[in-house]
Amino acid sequence: MAEVIRTEGLTKSYGPRRGVVDLTFSVAPGEVFGYLGPNGAGKTTTIRTLLDLIRPTSGRAFVFGLDSHRDAVRIHARVGYLPGEFSLYDHMTGAEYLAYLASLRGGVSAERIAELADRLDVDLSAKIRTLSHGNRQKIGLIQAFMHRPELLVLDEPTQGLDPLIQHEFYRLIEETRADGRTVFLSSHVMPEVERVCDRVGIIREGRLVAVEDIGDLRAKELRTLEIHFAAPVPASAFDGVPGVREVEAGGDAVRVTVAGPMDAVIKRIAAFEVVDLTSHEPSLEEIFLTFYGKGEGGGD
Amino acid sequence: MLRTVLGKTLWEQRRAIAGWAIGLFAAGAMYAPFYPSIRENAATFDKYLESMPEFFREAFLGRTGDFTSPAGYLNTELFSFFAPLLFLLFAIGAGAKAIAGEEERQTLDILLAAPIPRRRVVVHKFLAMLAGGAVLGAFLWLAVPLTGPPFDLRVDLGNLTAAVVMCYLLAMAFGAIALAVGAATGRRGLAIGVTGGIAAGSWLVDLLAPSAPLTEWLQYLSPMHYYLDAEPMLRGLGVAGSLVLAGIALAGFLAALVLFERRDLAA
Repeated sequence: MAEVIRTEGLTKSYGPRRGVVDLTFSVAPGEVFGYLGPNGAGKTTTIRTLLDLIRPTSGRAFVFGLDSHRDAVRIHARVGYLPGEFSLYDHMTGAEYLAYLASLRGGVSAERIAELADRLDVDLSAKIRTLSHGNRQKIGLIQAFMHRPELLVLDEPTQGLDPLIQHEFYRLIEETRADGRTVFLSSHVMPEVERVCDRVGIIREGRLVAVEDIGDLRAKELRTLEIHFAAPVPASAFDGVPGVREVEAGGDAVRVTVAGPMDAVIKRIAAFEVVDLTSHEPSLEEIFLTFYGKGEGGGD
Repeated sequence: MLRTVLGKTLWEQRRAIAGWAIGLFAAGAMYAPFYPSIRENAATFDKYLESMPEFFREAFLGRTGDFTSPAGYLNTELFSFFAPLLFLLFAIGAGAKAIAGEEERQTLDILLAAPIPRRRVVVHKFLAMLAGGAVLGAFLWLAVPLTGPPFDLRVDLGNLTAAVVMCYLLAMAFGAIALAVGAATGRRGLAIGVTGGIAAGSWLVDLLAPSAPLTEWLQYLSPMHYYLDAEPMLRGLGVAGSLVLAGIALAGFLAALVLFERRDLAA
């Protein structure tokens, strides 16, 4: 099987400023794919189309090579899904809820459910209505992971989880990858994607603006230099210097963002009297903002 | 119980169904203690009823004008208004909640991500409503032979069964309409409002349409007509009326299947 997920010109229109436009991407087996974008960019719309909860306006989506709509039931048997926003049945206990979903899936061993509940530290004997948001999120995660699906589709999976549990969640993702299974995970939290994903698709205002290898992104070698000069230096001093992406000058302090080799910019800095110089490797967030610009999304 | 959508739906409605069943039993029982005084004053009552305008008599006392025989009394007091009203409230609530309730509460995404087709969810929810309604019907039926005899309220059990069955079919017809509206829109309040409006309108049409020759035919558009006009407590099962009501229930169910299958679900 070539691809676990493939979309061809997938488009979903609602009104203006909503939905997704002409998405074409694919996710390979065994990959952890991050789907990154601000709230309202279209992450949830894409995911719910893959799950056949909403239907594309045009274009198609394939999961395991099967049509997302026509073969939805066969796809669902092999997928674990955590929605971005969901409720559980309040009057049930966590154990009853999971038993119900497990039997709809043809059965899941009780040991497997108990093991996940133990790792995520959630009490399954309590009525769901008495649980905190974080504990409900954990039960949502258990139902997605419990049947060891070939593909996990997780919409903002770590929201509401405390850091220790997030760490356990990352371990679950690692184990899934080690099994050769595939993960499609949406997030607006950059460090999360940086930490767990192999590849990332960036979506803004309904359009896929880039699909990159996390490694390739880092190789873009973006650096920010903060220089304090003895006397004020204008931003125009860096005009035409190769590699310079952005310059912010304020009195004798200058911030320069550089892509690629540093040689030319260092030589230009050396023309002035330098008091202090610091360099830092930007987070992926800054890399994205530099390459893909800042943009505000609409409501989700 | 928690192995299928049907079992789980009945399990979570167990207290509600028990409550409604007790309500219908109470409805079936509460008229009995008043029957002796009705019967003793039968002549006075009949005379009084004669003096009422025909329109009022039909609206509140049923078609035949028999109010003082045991069957006539139950037909008028129980089966012309209160029992169908309670039954409808249950069925419209259950039908509206079936799909739209889950969708509004955001429990539907995870359920439908399980390897079950959407139509199975509709089928199971519909079956749960039919089963819940059957429990209500059984309690309504039981109330009459259990509480009537001490008050000399004895009726033909075959006719009683017919009345309960037709009341049940009427409720399921409206429940299925609510199911369809809920499945088509995902909005529970809307499903309750629209179906409740149709029920009230249908009652009014059945009441008012026959009063003028020009509008008489309109009563046949009213689902309520096929129940109220049959008076099964007095005349046994109205086969044509029952078939119409069952047909409406089936049509509502099929509409729910088709409309839900095609729709984008609310996030």
